[in-house]
Amino acid sequence: MANTHHADGVLPAEPEKATLEGKNKVLAFWLFLGGETVLFGTLFASFIALRNQVPSGPTGDQIFVLPMVAAATLILLTSSLTSVFATIAMHKHNLKAMLGWLTATVLLGLAFLGLEIYEFVEYVHEGHTFTSSAFGTSFYTLVGFHGAHVVFGIVWISLLIFQGMKKGLTVVTAPKFYVAGLYWHYVDVVWVFIFTVVYLMGKVG
Amino acid sequence: MSAEQHPSATNRRHRVEGPKNHYITYIVSIVLTMIAFAAVIYGGLSQAFLYAFLLIMALVQCMFQMAVWMHMKEKDHAYPIIGILFGVFVAIGGFLAAIFWMWW
Repeated sequence: MANTHHADGVLPAEPEKATLEGKNKVLAFWLFLGGETVLFGTLFASFIALRNQVPSGPTGDQIFVLPMVAAATLILLTSSLTSVFATIAMHKHNLKAMLGWLTATVLLGLAFLGLEIYEFVEYVHEGHTFTSSAFGTSFYTLVGFHGAHVVFGIVWISLLIFQGMKKGLTVVTAPKFYVAGLYWHYVDVVWVFIFTVVYLMGKVG
Repeated sequence: MSAEQHPSATNRRHRVEGPKNHYITYIVSIVLTMIAFAAVIYGGLSQAFLYAFLLIMALVQCMFQMAVWMHMKEKDHAYPIIGILFGVFVAIGGFLAAIFWMWW
């Protein structure tokens, strides 16, 4: 398979959209994100419907620690910035810089994940578990699903880094890097609504 | 492999985007987040007002990130916008249905 768009062997300016396959991948990924929106919409809906159903166990107002949520937010937001820098580096055909930014994204994702695991362990110690109340069930389902998306993103982008080191930047690999960037931004956008609806509104009451 | 090669003269018509808009989006996101947190921590505001205010802060931040970081403001994004809006439409429908069933 030809690696480049032009006969002279130069990678085109936007390599992710240079082939029909690449274009279709980007479009299909947006449709997938539409489906993800429906998934998270239903989880948010059930959380909002059930968040005050706390017959036993602590309420959100009692257990949420806002400074920790703010730290997690800052980490994930910064990782979204580093992943867009990876896409810029890709458009400049700078493989090394792109892999560096993707590595930074993965490390920040791991930091976010570590914080979330620590948070969940603390909550369980305080009696807030999956089965303690309807609030607990809907909380862990929603926030846990987001965390699972972060895990998937970390694994996916890590594998892409290895593939990038092996195969370099071509019209075949470029759509993968671009689409992984879209995914990571999307996970960050979902987190914006989680810290708003779950944590901040949980503190309001 | 041409990974280290620079765009040739034939590619000059595509300007490589700079990081400026992305820094702006990052700063806007941080400021909106700080305002939202501050409103909850320091505000003696009413519950209804805070709910609406927090939701608006989140929506503005979401639009900024999708337009700039996810490149939606760039051309050729009509179908992606239709795709994601359809998802939002169905999500809001499910959301309203759940709240209607549970609260009324």
